Amino acid sequence: MEFDWTIFAPLFAHTLTFWWIILPAIFLGLIVGAIPGFSAANTIIILLPMTLAMEVENGLVFMVALYCSSRMGAGIPAILVNIPGTAGAAATPLDGYPMTKAGKGQQALAISFVSSTAGGLLTTILALLAMPWLAQVAFYLHSVEMIVVMLFGISLIATIAARNTLKGLIAGFLGLMIGSIGADHIYATPRGTMGFLELYDGVPLIPALVGLFAVSEAFLVIEGQSIISDKGQTLMRKARWAETFEGVRIALSKWWHIIWTSIIGLVIGVIPGAGASIASFVAYQQSRTFSKTPELYGTGHIEGLIAPESANNGVTSGTLVPLLVIGIPGGATAAIMLVVLQYHGVTVGPELFIENPELAYGVFTAMAVTYLLMIFTILPLARYMSQVTMVSTTYMAPLIIAFTLVGSFVPREYMFDMYLALAFGVLGYIARKTGYHTAAILIGVILGPLLEQYFLRAMKMSQGDVMTLFSSRLGNVLWVLLFLSIALPYLLEYRRNRRR
Amino acid sequence: MSKVWTPRRRVFLTSALAAGGMAAAPMAFGATYPSRNIKVFVPTREGGGADRNLRAFSGVWKKYLKTKFEPSFYPGAAGRVGYETYMGKAKADCYNFLFGNMGPEMLNWVVKKPSFSLDDYFYFGRVDVDPSVVFVSAKSPFKTIDDVIAEGKKRTLNVGTSRLAHPASIGILAVGDHTKAKFNLIPLSGGKNTIAGVVTGEMDLGVLPSGSVSKKGTKVLRSLLVFDEKNRLGARLSSFGVNAPTANDHFGMKLPPLVSARAFAIQKAAADKYPDRMAILNETMLKVFDDPDYKKAVLKTKAPWENIRYGDAAACKAYADSITEIGEQFKSLMTGKK
Repeated sequence: MEFDWTIFAPLFAHTLTFWWIILPAIFLGLIVGAIPGFSAANTIIILLPMTLAMEVENGLVFMVALYCSSRMGAGIPAILVNIPGTAGAAATPLDGYPMTKAGKGQQALAISFVSSTAGGLLTTILALLAMPWLAQVAFYLHSVEMIVVMLFGISLIATIAARNTLKGLIAGFLGLMIGSIGADHIYATPRGTMGFLELYDGVPLIPALVGLFAVSEAFLVIEGQSIISDKGQTLMRKARWAETFEGVRIALSKWWHIIWTSIIGLVIGVIPGAGASIASFVAYQQSRTFSKTPELYGTGHIEGLIAPESANNGVTSGTLVPLLVIGIPGGATAAIMLVVLQYHGVTVGPELFIENPELAYGVFTAMAVTYLLMIFTILPLARYMSQVTMVSTTYMAPLIIAFTLVGSFVPREYMFDMYLALAFGVLGYIARKTGYHTAAILIGVILGPLLEQYFLRAMKMSQGDVMTLFSSRLGNVLWVLLFLSIALPYLLEYRRNRRR
Repeated sequence: MSKVWTPRRRVFLTSALAAGGMAAAPMAFGATYPSRNIKVFVPTREGGGADRNLRAFSGVWKKYLKTKFEPSFYPGAAGRVGYETYMGKAKADCYNFLFGNMGPEMLNWVVKKPSFSLDDYFYFGRVDVDPSVVFVSAKSPFKTIDDVIAEGKKRTLNVGTSRLAHPASIGILAVGDHTKAKFNLIPLSGGKNTIAGVVTGEMDLGVLPSGSVSKKGTKVLRSLLVFDEKNRLGARLSSFGVNAPTANDHFGMKLPPLVSARAFAIQKAAADKYPDRMAILNETMLKVFDDPDYKKAVLKTKAPWENIRYGDAAACKAYADSITEIGEQFKSLMTGKK
């Protein structure tokens, strides 16, 4: 499958003519991405009758634009009010929210927008250039390798625990325990569901996410007058357009960081079943490992914000590669796109590039155009969006709780999920008051079930032979890298201490 | 007096008529079934075979019922969540259906009984019959089912399947029992994941309903064996130009057709309470199969038209009984106790 450069320029120009579809899709995507519980996947499902009725090209452009912008939208509430819109933005508030609290919300948004669009644009171009090779990633990363990839993300618990080992590990372990609730992945036997049918499919992510982060935040917000500190408020009042430009400048100065963390997202996105939540945690963990100032992570560090935002937008391009090249969707949104394509009689797979190359490559040019239009439409809004944080807690706390509870209800339409969000909110509040890190709990809840799924599959395939974990060459390389990424910070610190 | 009473009487009469009208309104409203949208509980993921099948069917059925269908998807715990939610939460008023895959569902109940009684609901209309097939990736070294069996006698082969309690899983286990080849079933939660497992080479082979496999084309997936009376899809289920044989013909087995059969179910209480509504449903459903728009809709989804076969409540029950019987034979393998 060779890329035909001659079709690129006219295709790009042709895609630009779809601006009237892309712009509304961008705004819709930003809104649904920002509301917890909504996502590109369920919005596309809701709008399926409309997209099915559209011309295939129009429908595809609409879905792609919505998908890209919703990913960026999810970061906005994560940064401003500590509410990740989706699990893919769960690592964003780790450093984004402390920036907001320090009165740098506008700057944080600008950094997030630039790293998201730059990461998305870059990975879109890379996906276009390296599509045949990228599609091969799925052929090499099987269950054993995925176990190690999961462990990269889960090892972030250990990093968090480094500040308070016992409390960090307890929080992480609690998260893993909560993540193990639900039917097992092999025999579908329910475990720890306490008789609740609603927990058969595991602990739903959105209620856990909004409960641990947002509801607990609302409880904390009630205790103060404002989300941001007094010093931060003064900064916010003084803030002008210059803050946005400063954010853009800072983000662009970290161009190398955007590149490599977005590539992590791209590669993880290509693997069917993996997704933005894994990519953002892995990118964050890797960013911290190779940082010269790891101790600043979690305090409003710029690189800690760039890493997850670039990575989760990198995933967006990645998930579409296996869909188009081998006909296997890399994620939930890609699966819904497949429904639309099949409805229109479009066969995905290698033949698509021969029979309908305009459509196949058009997906990526639509992505590129979306990112270009998105940065110009969203960036001016950073200044106004950041003013949300100046709202008094008297209004902010009930608003956060109301929004998040509705968000918890939306994905499955269960009242149970609203109660669950409140329960997680109480758990998060207690954890934060007592010095336990909610992010460590959440990592366990999100990545624990995925790790278990791959582990059980590997064990079932090897008929219980634990040595299968070390049976693949690529897996072994990843094990070594994992060991190094965990040990390296300790070794470097040991060396620094000895020099002193 | 009359001047005084007349308006009051008018008011009284008008009020009485209005009250009577309001009281009668629900009856009149109820008489024109359906008067609102019908909710459909689907115990599998959106975007899967059941979703496509349902959209194609309901897209035409709504024309005859003059109402819309609202599908809700509950894929958790091998489909259990969908069934339990339907039986536990849906009102028995003929406005709530379940669109399930009878084969995997019956096997689910063989493995573990649900919290509700199996007599409390029944399938009233089958939409398709989708036989299970054994398939490999186009790049696989296995060219025929005999290659698979020969290798399966040397080492245990990993077989990707949608879930353990599935007619396709039973099929390959039965073949293993018959030929002494060793198969290790790996549940991959859904058809898409199963195809991904086989295409990416993690699984040696896979088993799924034919619709999902044939749609990919023989350039992506090659079919080696069919669990039905005959290979109805011919070259669309083939390997290197040779149509996949049936298990019974090739191995001299006597397996019943191991098929997925998607069908609409309803609570028994709803059917008993509203026989008139059931009559409307049955009558309009039959019309869909004769409607050329339905054939167009099915073909548009690339599903094989040969698999579209109507079955009434009796046919559904007969199928459910047969699959339950064979499920009991392989219960220990599906539950991991052997």
